[in-house]
Amino acid sequence: MTDKKQILLVDDDPDFVEAVRVIVESGGYDVQVAYDGQEGLEAVAENKPDLIVLDVMMPVMNGHETCAKLKGDDATKEIPIILLTAVADRVTTSTYTHRDMLESEAEDYMPKPVEPQELLERIKSWL
Amino acid sequence: MDTVRILIVDDEKVIREGVARALSGRGYTVEKAESGERGIEMIKQSGFDIVLLDLMMPGIDGFAVLEWINEHEPQIQVIVVTGFATVSKAVSAMKQGAFDFVGKPFTPDYIRIVVERAVDKITLRAEAEKLREERSLSLNTIQQEQSRLKTVFGCMAEAVLITDPEGVVVLHNPAAIKLLEIQTDPVVGKPFSESISDNVALQMIEEAMSKGVVVTQEFKPGSISRRYLRAHCSPVVSSSGVVLGSVTTYEDVSTNKEIDRMKSDFVAMVAHELKSPLASIEQMIYALQVDCKYEALHSCNKLHSRMTVRTKDLLRLIDNLLNLSKLESGTVVFNLEATRGHDIIKDIVEVAAPQAEARNIEVKYTPCEDEWWFNVDYDHIRTAIMNIVSNAIKYTPDGGSVDVSASLSGGFANLVFSDSGIGISQEDLPHIFDRFYRVKGKATRHITGSGLGLSLVKEVVEAHQGYIDVRSSPDQGTTFTMSFPIVEPVNAE
Repeated sequence: MTDKKQILLVDDDPDFVEAVRVIVESGGYDVQVAYDGQEGLEAVAENKPDLIVLDVMMPVMNGHETCAKLKGDDATKEIPIILLTAVADRVTTSTYTHRDMLESEAEDYMPKPVEPQELLERIKSWL
Repeated sequence: MDTVRILIVDDEKVIREGVARALSGRGYTVEKAESGERGIEMIKQSGFDIVLLDLMMPGIDGFAVLEWINEHEPQIQVIVVTGFATVSKAVSAMKQGAFDFVGKPFTPDYIRIVVERAVDKITLRAEAEKLREERSLSLNTIQQEQSRLKTVFGCMAEAVLITDPEGVVVLHNPAAIKLLEIQTDPVVGKPFSESISDNVALQMIEEAMSKGVVVTQEFKPGSISRRYLRAHCSPVVSSSGVVLGSVTTYEDVSTNKEIDRMKSDFVAMVAHELKSPLASIEQMIYALQVDCKYEALHSCNKLHSRMTVRTKDLLRLIDNLLNLSKLESGTVVFNLEATRGHDIIKDIVEVAAPQAEARNIEVKYTPCEDEWWFNVDYDHIRTAIMNIVSNAIKYTPDGGSVDVSASLSGGFANLVFSDSGIGISQEDLPHIFDRFYRVKGKATRHITGSGLGLSLVKEVVEAHQGYIDVRSSPDQGTTFTMSFPIVEPVNAE
């Protein structure tokens, strides 16, 4: 085990995950990745991270559901979560608004794309 | 009226000439007949308004001619010309319908006076006839107009409801009952509010009448109808300014609202489809700025190449979107020409081969034994078939196979594309031709696409009077079938 903090990235776009991974690693963290909410939960169960960066719009299980599951479980509710989304996304099948964001139990949220400096500062502030 | 045509029938030349002279220079057309037979013949040929008729003639006499005229040309005015010795005959001729008589010898003035009276009679009769025609015509028109308005009113898709100044319904059309879902029977004679218990609907009528203005109001489904209605209420005001009542029309705008909604959904969808790849590209630019400071060069190269791919995908998506919109608006001109089916498929399979070989996928093509031709736009059909073949390769794991075959049945060529790929679930299958629909999951994560390819294929195939169908079993493979009507081969080669 290394003494680096573990960050879990969950997003369904592999390019986006790769880009954020590069940024987060540049901040001196270890990065795990998952490509939907279900995989995210499995990754948490296997290797509990220190913080989760979670995309909202995902197939199989979306970010809100994943967040609710994590926050509803005593074993994982202490893990800080940063939700990522384009806030203005209003798609017919799934409408997320600013209000949903504020009502979610996540510690923080950021619109996509995320600026490297700001992301690293937010991560640092929750650890 | 037109020139008056006069015929003189007399066996005596002197009389014929004398009468003709008396009538000359007055704008009449005058002709002469020397006998009764000739007179009848001329009337048959040319038709006359007035006949000056001698009673005593050899052959057919005046009475016989008169009888003939009464029977065949009753509108002709007959003036009997006769000697005073036979005045009694003239009288009996008049009893038989002659207009007047002139006794021989006569003065030219007298002849002229009698003829003028006859002309007056003809003119009067023509005018009376014209008036009668006009009157019956206008009565007919009014009747037609009323029945036409009634028909229009009854057939209108819009509901129309007319009230008196107190808001009592005085008239409505069948559409009103249907569209406003009125249960009251009868509606006419009762206050509006008894049939439609909606305050807004009532208020708009009251407002229109009290303020004397047209009031427009929209009613959402569930208020006064299950449909989305747009209502216009106009006050009916007399020329002296008294409000006589109101006319309200209700128009079903559900379809318009639905199209509006689809339009904004579509715009939202397009915006999302453009935004997410751009967000990823921008994120990769950020990563690159960080990466080049901390990581090895090959990682930079990887980000660069992915950015290039994603940017190209985005451009292709926009192209596809434009093509789709062109196809749907019907502005694409297809250059149809008879094309040999085998050539086009063979070419596509060859072009797709390297893409398949790179991933160790075997692409097999079984041509139809008979030669077949179809009438297509070569470029569009090639792109559509290429899309299906490259999808089959894209969604087939390494080492799999893609089978392409062609066969003929019932005037159609059936092209079958079967792959041993990941397949499509029953939930996804009905949606794969929808715009922007992409099957999302573990297996498709690294496969990029716009979600517009199959929508385009379907549009192109249907524009060629063809069909496209799909069957699939998850983890076993997918089969697309395209059918096109075949045509006679072109001999000129």
